[in-house]
Amino acid sequence: MKKLLILSAFLAATAFAQVDKPIEMPYVDYPMVQGDHDEVAQQYCLICHSWGYILNQGKKSRPYWTGTVQKMVNEFKAPIGKEDQQTIINYLVKHYGYEATSGQGH
Amino acid sequence: MRYLNRRHFLGAGLLLGATSLLGKETPSKPIAIPQEFTTPIIAFPEKKPMVTISDRPPLLKSSKGRDIFTQAITPNDEFFVRWHLPDIPTHIDLNEFRLEVKGSVNTPLSLSVDDLKSKFEPAEITAVLQCGGNSRKYYAVTGQATHGVQWDHGAMGCAVWKGVRLKDILNRAGVKESASWVGLNGLEKPAMEETPDFFREMEIKEALEDQIIVAYSMNGEDLPYLNGFPIRLVIPGHFSDSWVKMLSEIMVMDTYRTSFFMDVAYTVPDNDCECVVSGSDFEYKRKPIAAMKVKSVIGYPSSNTVIKKSSKVKIAGVAFDQGKGIKEVMISLDGGKSWSAAKLGQDYGKFAFRPWSFEWETKTKGNFTIMARAINRIGNIQPLADEIGWNAGGYQYNAVDSVNVKIV
Ligand code: HEC
Repeated sequence: MKKLLILSAFLAATAFAQVDKPIEMPYVDYPMVQGDHDEVAQQYCLICHSWGYILNQGKKSRPYWTGTVQKMVNEFKAPIGKEDQQTIINYLVKHYGYEATSGQGH
Repeated sequence: MRYLNRRHFLGAGLLLGATSLLGKETPSKPIAIPQEFTTPIIAFPEKKPMVTISDRPPLLKSSKGRDIFTQAITPNDEFFVRWHLPDIPTHIDLNEFRLEVKGSVNTPLSLSVDDLKSKFEPAEITAVLQCGGNSRKYYAVTGQATHGVQWDHGAMGCAVWKGVRLKDILNRAGVKESASWVGLNGLEKPAMEETPDFFREMEIKEALEDQIIVAYSMNGEDLPYLNGFPIRLVIPGHFSDSWVKMLSEIMVMDTYRTSFFMDVAYTVPDNDCECVVSGSDFEYKRKPIAAMKVKSVIGYPSSNTVIKKSSKVKIAGVAFDQGKGIKEVMISLDGGKSWSAAKLGQDYGKFAFRPWSFEWETKTKGNFTIMARAINRIGNIQPLADEIGWNAGGYQYNAVDSVNVKIV
């Protein structure tokens, strides 16, 4: 996977090899709560977008986060194994949500 | 798999000197955010400091909140920003940049921005650009929260767009008899090959409509980089999902090409209310969101404003629709019991924000709910908040807007 990512960065570089003055984009360090295997969320959930996407959602229920993680895997092809998906869902529910099983589901 | 966090990831790009957002060389001084999270306000290139929902891809809205909607024309440096995929070139060389027109055409074209400016008749239109998910978070006020970016009203703006009619470009290339769809693609790319590309399609007969333009200018200036420099598609009256930014390819096709961002994202149930009546949203046949729905947003005051008794308040905002034109905006100061007409401001054309205002003399102390409700020329009226049809994607929110203020 890493190879792939670098490859796409490389393609962008060659396509704009004649760049003289690229725009300067700020880089924002959105905070992630530590613990409960935040490293698994870090490993996967920052590949395609910032953690700002997650913070923007506000506190959400378990079905909501389960639906979101499934959407990342099924629709956007996030390469996350079943076990790691569950770890991330638990982490999100604990720190960015709540347990209720009805109300805010898919 | 190796541990790979975002900083390493950006570092990898740095090694290769990539000039995409994906591989930026900047992370010299990352902007840290305090643990108690409030969305940071940060200045991006050509922008005033804006509320930064995400830096990668950039999702920005005006830091003025509602106040930005007291103006009919949204300034370029405060215009909202919304990309979908993280790999966006950070530099466009206009000597190299080409818009390719290909597929089922007699003469494929490769057009520079200069070609567009010098070899075609210019066309200008004032039009509202609104994300299909704008105001989405308000669905959660009266019903279920929906997936997607939880926008307040910040994902919209109105600008004067100037460019070339898409029709003129297609006619120059000569669309073949067999053609029935036009595919549109820009330079934003996913981080992983397997992620679907943000690719849009429209029927050829729609693409040939007069008002659709390939814009190279916004409010009299080049498009800001983050609004799609050097060119973007402008589809007046339509939600912005198909207003492709950094437009680089127009592919004329004989058959429809299925894709996630066309067939799954940005779709609603294909029934009259375009909403879920019972059961789950995805049991319904889908239809892409397209024409916008009549809507008004209060620009001033914002909620929790405290106003002195016996003052003259100018309630102000904007209204718009799919391009039929706004007929009337009604204001209620008593939470919807009684309504009076607001004064409509300058008419910038049927696809533009129609500014409106209402003078209010505050005579009694207490809490007030101000509501605004627009009706267009064909009688479409905004639903009340508790009457709006719900869809799982949280698209097309257009319920009556309201703010609570206190008179002291
Ligand atoms: C393979 C790429 C990829 C990975 C990996 C990925 N996402 Fe996403 N994610 C996307 C795309 C694409 C979107 C939609 C982007 C857009 O339209 O702005 C998105 C959108 C979102 C949103 C916005 C709300 C919504 O429903 O669209 C959230 C929240 C989100 N992702 C959370 C996550 C979490 C949590 C993870 C880690 C489990 C993750 N993402 C991993 C690609 C990815």
